Amino acid sequence: MKIALINGSPKVKSGASGILLEDLKAYLGETEVLEFGFHTGAVTEEEAEALNQADALVLSFPLYVDGVPGHLLSCLAGLEEASFKNREIRVYGIVNCGFFEGIQAETALQVLENWCAKTGYVWGSGVGVGGGGALAQMPKTKSGHGPREPVEKALKVLADAIHAGKTQEIQRAQENQYVSVAFPRFLYKLAAQTGWRQMMKANGGKMRDLGKRPKISEQ
Amino acid sequence: MKLIITDLVNFNMPVEGEHKIIRPQGDIRNCVGCFGCWTRTPGKCVIHDGYENTGIDMSKCTELIFVSRCYYGSVSPFVKTVQDRAISYIHPDFVIRKGEMHHKRRYDNVISLSAHFYGENITDAEKKTARKILEANADNYDGLVKDIYFYRSAEELEGISL
Repeated sequence: MKIALINGSPKVKSGASGILLEDLKAYLGETEVLEFGFHTGAVTEEEAEALNQADALVLSFPLYVDGVPGHLLSCLAGLEEASFKNREIRVYGIVNCGFFEGIQAETALQVLENWCAKTGYVWGSGVGVGGGGALAQMPKTKSGHGPREPVEKALKVLADAIHAGKTQEIQRAQENQYVSVAFPRFLYKLAAQTGWRQMMKANGGKMRDLGKRPKISEQ
Repeated sequence: MKLIITDLVNFNMPVEGEHKIIRPQGDIRNCVGCFGCWTRTPGKCVIHDGYENTGIDMSKCTELIFVSRCYYGSVSPFVKTVQDRAISYIHPDFVIRKGEMHHKRRYDNVISLSAHFYGENITDAEKKTARKILEANADNYDGLVKDIYFYRSAEELEGISL
């Protein structure tokens, strides 16, 4: 079984999408894994060919304005054009959401499901991860513990679904899972807001400018 | 002011009243998730390719209208990229709205959102998704959904007035 893991974040390094794929990979065990990075809006012919050899595609990406990031949408459209439609490729999605509630990723997973209907691929299931903004800061703890535990549990279920999909044990699409990091929402909010102020300061700006209302002066 | 974001290079729908149209004029670069529009040049995207001021344009509009080909229930890659590059319309800080986390307002204007989707074979599932995304956008912009329309082709848009 070949599983293609696609990192659909525009960030090449240290993004939550990559972290989630690494976690999933650990649960996939002895499976052959192909890794792709869709960081810009283009998919090469070689990439499309290689993806077509996979039994399953897993797309991991950040939620952008209630949907799939523009560049990744462009990749999906490119794959639809190149789609070979000659195999039962199953598609799974992992969407990390900056908001606390994983359910806010539901629309992005629906877009993937609709994409499957257009391309002829088979929709499997997805995970909406709430509080994705904190994943990079959260230390990896012993499995079953720590703030990442609900996320890891969902990825384990996803890994099992990917394996089961191959053996046709599961004929129908599974339910999507929506989870949040095990961290109080008010603290997540506070930590994020502290983070913005630190970034502002590091960029040499003033904290009060966070709410600035700029004018288009250059035009 | 009506702000129209469209993927139609030759957009020619009549528009009543004051308006601005954002359409493909030169390549658009995608959002890279740097948060510079919140913490480096607040309110403005840091990528200078002619599409960096949409957040400011949104602050001046009362209506935001998408005219786009439907891609799997989403707006098109171009329209979506314009949207992705305009998150500076809102403030990075969080608020809880309708029980869910969203961003705080940066501006006071309330936007009414409309979408005109075209495409040869828009499925019911895609229409459902499109509607849901527009509603979610309205929650995130702290605005309202006005209308959503579907057309079988871009030609069908001719004669429709915005």
